[in-house]
Amino acid sequence: MAARLAEEWFAICGGCEVTILDIGEPLLDLLEKVQIVHMPVLMDHKLFGQTGEKTEMEIPEAEVGLISGGIRSDEHKKLAQEMRRKCKTLIALGSCACYGGIPALANLYSTEELLTKVYRESITTDKNGFPHEEVPALTDRVYSVSEVVKVDVSLPGCPTTPEMVGGALTALLEGRPFTLSTKSVCDECPTIREKKATSTLRRRLEPAEFVPGAPLNQMRCLMEQGFLCNGPATRSGCGGSEGTPRCIRAYMPCEGCFGPVSEKANPMVDMMGALSTIGLDPKQIPDRAATFNRFSGAGRLRPAPKR
Amino acid sequence: MGLAVEQEFEPVIVALACNWCSYAGADLAGISRCQYPANVRIIRVMCSGMVHPNLVIEALTKGADGVVMCGCHPGDCHYQEGNLKAEKRAEAITLMLPDFGLEEERFKLAWVSASEGPQFAKLMTEFTAQVKRLGPSPYKS
Repeated sequence: MAARLAEEWFAICGGCEVTILDIGEPLLDLLEKVQIVHMPVLMDHKLFGQTGEKTEMEIPEAEVGLISGGIRSDEHKKLAQEMRRKCKTLIALGSCACYGGIPALANLYSTEELLTKVYRESITTDKNGFPHEEVPALTDRVYSVSEVVKVDVSLPGCPTTPEMVGGALTALLEGRPFTLSTKSVCDECPTIREKKATSTLRRRLEPAEFVPGAPLNQMRCLMEQGFLCNGPATRSGCGGSEGTPRCIRAYMPCEGCFGPVSEKANPMVDMMGALSTIGLDPKQIPDRAATFNRFSGAGRLRPAPKR
Repeated sequence: MGLAVEQEFEPVIVALACNWCSYAGADLAGISRCQYPANVRIIRVMCSGMVHPNLVIEALTKGADGVVMCGCHPGDCHYQEGNLKAEKRAEAITLMLPDFGLEEERFKLAWVSASEGPQFAKLMTEFTAQVKRLGPSPYKS
């Protein structure tokens, strides 16, 4: 009997849904084992009934629930709770659902400041007040799904990898456990590390020193070259079975998109420690809170105190 | 008639002292009967350079009102450069404290050698008084 699958998306970009497609040919086998009962991006199953006859949003029961996106409005919060009620196993798909993601950078500002900037101060917007009719209210800040409901499986990444989604769904359907790596990106990175910086902090406008096409184990660690590589504070896994982290493969420093190495970790403190340890000057970073919590803003970023 | 005894705030101070110099200095302070406040809890680490910023931030957000990182004087580190690493990390920690709503005065890096018993006692006395003036950590509800 096919397992029923429901999917919802909140404060998203849609990249994680595209990643499901990127599973490629194995997706055909996977689709035979699931019956999708609700998935806004894909099918026309409506929340208030097919003719809008219901008064409350309803999601059908399912064995597997996928949620992408962080919680930014009251509607997202209600849907997250409904998904939790109706789905036996709930998966947080992508870093937005797991940690808040890019939308959680908004947590650096109060909702008042955000609305004022967008609807009052933006030069190209007609000043007609904040939208409030038929529009769900914003939550006081962006939440990760796990902050609002219990999540059974977390799949970080921005986007997550086809291997991870495919692997997690297959494991679930076969009754096997699925766990995340507990190591950092540095543990999977092949570059040469000598624990001392060769330069002061540099922006990515300059290219790193490497020989194009040469194996990555001949390149010097990007952080030691002076670039802000979030590897030390980021969970490994983006490289999949091949191993090498995705951004490093492109000779670029790690963005940090897989989020913190563990749920309680503090990436900003880890990165400030890592940078200062090899001799880089953390005072030169203008916005460390956002730079080191780029994908993990829910619960870690808050508005700066007014001086 | 009951006597209302007001509890004066007594800060919880954590001192991370390196095994080779600072802890020995603290030990000497004890043996020499140098008086210093009982608020200080000393934790022996092998080198001040092994103190990850996370340890300091965690201490300050989980019950400590002040943290002192003590190491060997520059040039004297048992592991050559560990204390220099500690110095750089201390800079990063001081930068970050306001991000956590903590006053910079709640953290200090100090060099204490194995023979500096009285200096260790003086350092702890002054730091405890400093933290006492600041009041309890904002993380204490």
